[in-house]
Amino acid sequence: MLAYIVKRLLIMIVMLLLVATMIFLMFRTMPGDPTASMVDPSIPREARQALLERYGLHESLWTQYRIFMRDLVQLDFGNSYFYNRTVLRVIGDRLPATLILMLTAMLFAYTFGILWGAWMAWNRGSRLESVGVTFSLIFRSAPTFWVGLMAIMLFSVTLGWFPAQGMRTTGYVGDSFAEVFLNRDFVRHLILPAFVAGLYFLATPLLIMRNSMLEVMSEDYIEMARAKGLRDRSVLYKHAARNALLPVVTAGALFIGAAIGGQVLIEVVFSWPGLGREIVQAVTRSDYPLAQGIFIIISALVMFMNLVADILYAFLDPRIAYR
Amino acid sequence: MLEVQNLSIEYTTEDGVLKAVDDVSFNLQRGESLGIVGESGCGKTTVAKALLRLLPENGAISGGRVLFHGENLVGKSPDHMRRIRHSKIALVSQSAMNSLNPVYTVGHQIREGILAHSNIGRHAAHARCVEVFGMVGLEEKRLSSYPHQLSGGMKQRAIIAMALSLEPDIIVADEPTTALDVVVQGRILQRIRAIQRQISTSMIFITHDISVVSEICERIIVMYGGKIMEQADSASFFRAPYHPYSLGLQNAFPSITDITGEELVSIPGTPPNLMQEQPGCRFQERCPFATSQCRSRTPPLVKVKSNHHAACWYTDQVNDFRTRARNRDTWEAVRTRIEQQETPQQ
Repeated sequence: MLAYIVKRLLIMIVMLLLVATMIFLMFRTMPGDPTASMVDPSIPREARQALLERYGLHESLWTQYRIFMRDLVQLDFGNSYFYNRTVLRVIGDRLPATLILMLTAMLFAYTFGILWGAWMAWNRGSRLESVGVTFSLIFRSAPTFWVGLMAIMLFSVTLGWFPAQGMRTTGYVGDSFAEVFLNRDFVRHLILPAFVAGLYFLATPLLIMRNSMLEVMSEDYIEMARAKGLRDRSVLYKHAARNALLPVVTAGALFIGAAIGGQVLIEVVFSWPGLGREIVQAVTRSDYPLAQGIFIIISALVMFMNLVADILYAFLDPRIAYR
Repeated sequence: MLEVQNLSIEYTTEDGVLKAVDDVSFNLQRGESLGIVGESGCGKTTVAKALLRLLPENGAISGGRVLFHGENLVGKSPDHMRRIRHSKIALVSQSAMNSLNPVYTVGHQIREGILAHSNIGRHAAHARCVEVFGMVGLEEKRLSSYPHQLSGGMKQRAIIAMALSLEPDIIVADEPTTALDVVVQGRILQRIRAIQRQISTSMIFITHDISVVSEICERIIVMYGGKIMEQADSASFFRAPYHPYSLGLQNAFPSITDITGEELVSIPGTPPNLMQEQPGCRFQERCPFATSQCRSRTPPLVKVKSNHHAACWYTDQVNDFRTRARNRDTWEAVRTRIEQQETPQQ
């Protein structure tokens, strides 16, 4: 098992270097150059040239790549052109907000999705099953920004239960992590966007769980569990759901990896100061270091969560042994 | 102890109603072992599942009674049935390979069954697991194995151990050895037989293999097309069967005791379509001795000797049938007849 994990981590490093190369080239081949967004286009040529030299953008592509990779292996992502701060710091500022939002939404979606999905398969053909499928698919297909706006209209404007936007009430200043995130004001702001995002995510665990359950329920060991005189609840959750959970775990682990990128639309609609909005802005501003940094970190997380999913598998399914 | 009276079971399918079991009656004494034989689709597994009320959702008992210690199980509440399952009537299911949940250890699964019906505590339950594992000849350390770590024979024995764990009144064994190779099968059958005698539990043994029944059952029921064709003491049946279908079955299986190199003769044709109404004998289409009466009227189960019943109109001609059934040509004639019947329709 340990040897397997080490092997996988080594493969991950190689993959990441390849991904970094691709990301590097991707931004360099994109039209536009970073100076355009940093300074007025009407400034003299020389000034622009000086700026390019300052950021090393006048060097050949190869030299730029060598410097980029050399810094990367030292985990140095450079400075953001726009913020003039290190990339890691910018990401560090935005990441917690996104992660908290996404993980809350995920917790909501996966808890309900798994339980409801299992229940739906068990009561196949019932009214609540079709309601569940329709409900989850509606929120999967509806544009999240529209659902978000409707939720704001209903819960913030009409009912006035939750604030419409932002992460905290204007004027509130917190310095430490605890001051910023661990208070009621933050939780009140969190509920609505997490709920809307959760509704959007719900369909995945719900439908995967349902299908996987239907498959498992035709297995002989389910009949055996019944023949043993176990209670329905026990057969459903202990025997059927436990086995049906495996594909959901994969989906969930990959989801965490992707969640770091946030849901741009949700973050925009709810003015959530997260990483998702930052990515879009970094790309439109041609802020190469920031965009590269964010993309590389997202890739690393997706790969890492993949590995976590595989390891979790070994714990959930004793038939799987890694060598 | 168990009395099945006029049991009928129907499956509702998209194409209509399938009468899987029709008017089946038998009883089972304490300590007795009863074999139910028949080919696939004859309704034998359906009977087994109906006893435990574990029919699939589209199946339902449409008539008859299942009296267990005088209580009718048909119509009992799901919770009442749940308590009877495993503790009073235990199932050894058809596919040992897949009847154990892959994510729990074998010991856990046996213990779980014990704890669902008694409150003896984990410790005593574990002790019971060790005990039943001993009875089926598995080592104690195997209790902590996962199903995939066991061989097919071991899994089958674990399932038998599971069925024994609460000393049920009846063990229903549905093709328990079909998935195993012949050598292992023989050994397991011997063990089942020995244990069954030792703890004097009753057993219903469901199989398509008539030779298995001859080895371990005291009584036999031959089913065909959802009905009982013949019911008898094993000794009497294997000495001299009465129903033409039984005669055909005897030809189709090699005898374990005399290997004379005789060629096996199979029964031509296929079982009847149970979606259609069957006016006559279920077997008439494939029976070499069928007459017009067989085609129009269903023969009742009649007594031919003490403890021996057969559902055939012509039990008095059985001596003649026996001689002719041994002849390959008799069955070839049926094949020709069936082929002729099919041709004009095309």
